[in-house]
Amino acid sequence: MTGALKTEAVVIRSLRYGEADRILHLYTPHRGRIAAIAKGVRRSKSRFGGRLEPYFRLHMVLYQGRSELLTVTSADTITGYPRLREDGAAIDSAARACDAVARMFETADPHPGVFALLCNELALLDAGAGGPRTHATHANQLAFRLKLLLAAGLAPQLAGCASCGEADHLVAFSGAAGGVVCSACEAGGFALGEAAHAFMTGALGRALADVPEADELALRQAERAISETVEHHGHIRLRAASAR
Amino acid sequence: MYAPPIQRLITELGKLPGVGARTAQRLAMHILRASPQDAAALAEAIREVKERIGLCEVCFNFADEPRCRICADERRDAGVICVVEEAGDVIPVERTHEFRGRYHVLGGALSPIDGVDPGDLKIGELYRRVSDPAEPIREVVLATNSTTTGEATALHIADTLRERSPDVVVTRLASGLPVGGDLEYADEVTLGKAFAGRRRL
Repeated sequence: MTGALKTEAVVIRSLRYGEADRILHLYTPHRGRIAAIAKGVRRSKSRFGGRLEPYFRLHMVLYQGRSELLTVTSADTITGYPRLREDGAAIDSAARACDAVARMFETADPHPGVFALLCNELALLDAGAGGPRTHATHANQLAFRLKLLLAAGLAPQLAGCASCGEADHLVAFSGAAGGVVCSACEAGGFALGEAAHAFMTGALGRALADVPEADELALRQAERAISETVEHHGHIRLRAASAR
Repeated sequence: MYAPPIQRLITELGKLPGVGARTAQRLAMHILRASPQDAAALAEAIREVKERIGLCEVCFNFADEPRCRICADERRDAGVICVVEEAGDVIPVERTHEFRGRYHVLGGALSPIDGVDPGDLKIGELYRRVSDPAEPIREVVLATNSTTTGEATALHIADTLRERSPDVVVTRLASGLPVGGDLEYADEVTLGKAFAGRRRL
């Protein structure tokens, strides 16, 4: 299919290419992840200016030729999340969030919910940047990843044992079983404390802006549970959720 | 299609940035038509630059001696360091004739997603330079690119220097409208920064 493609998009990655071009990885609501070339964008007088930097949310017009790589023909800013760009921790969190989306949703399948979730995450990081109510936290990153798992159909089973259905004595987590497991089925899993279990349940049920608090041990256990689930069922290896 | 030596030359030229197959062919034909002296001078220049050029022991700019010409120049202000991502960024700053201090080349920008951490850049060497009592530093100018990774690098260095060397002034290059550019085409973040950094006339 050749011709113009009009779409909303978030720039999730930007790579230098050639003399003054950039290859952009874009996440769109109805075309999933797409790659496009922005010609001459690194020149200071480029008509795109700084709009095509990572984490910009844009209205874009792209030309689709025979190549898989589309060409950016116009870009209008919806929001550039300017405060986020002045806070190192927020930039780091935004990069990790975009990387998680890029790895878990790398096809052109439409996932409007994931697009909305990513925009919501960037907006939260922007709103809290540099202030005491920052969302650039380990807990926020894990909650975001749990919601991505939900959108991918890989949400871990947390209500009862993923092997036998037992609702009590849930003491471990098994990526292979796809959720928490009871003391009788824990072989092959790792110990998951009550705090980590409560954090995962709370994070899945609540809005991103209202992520439950948890201590660092619980967060590390939750991250391991998320990583093992994604690796076992999605065959994807995610990068660490925080700089540590 | 070509004799093997010509094909080899085209292949090698094609590895240069911005040079595609057609341009590589044209350059190869130009070299074939050039006089033996001109072709030998080109080959010798490439050989010499690879043999003689290394990194300056102070700032990591390209140098043909242990110290680059800027670090060896006593007339430069040793109390001000301009931090850039790549050695190629020194030239545009020098062209402005606005800066008379010395440089520090990081060798890239921080990008944890691409696996580029502070240990992969010459950031530790910058901190050691700034805290060296033998050459007191008054100001560090962060002139990393105005990209997301460049900003992240500048923020990281500024935070660390504030803790380690509180007496050193850390500044960042201003962002705003390019001279000769139309306001109509400025993006919102650039224009926002231009407003935030406006000055009294």
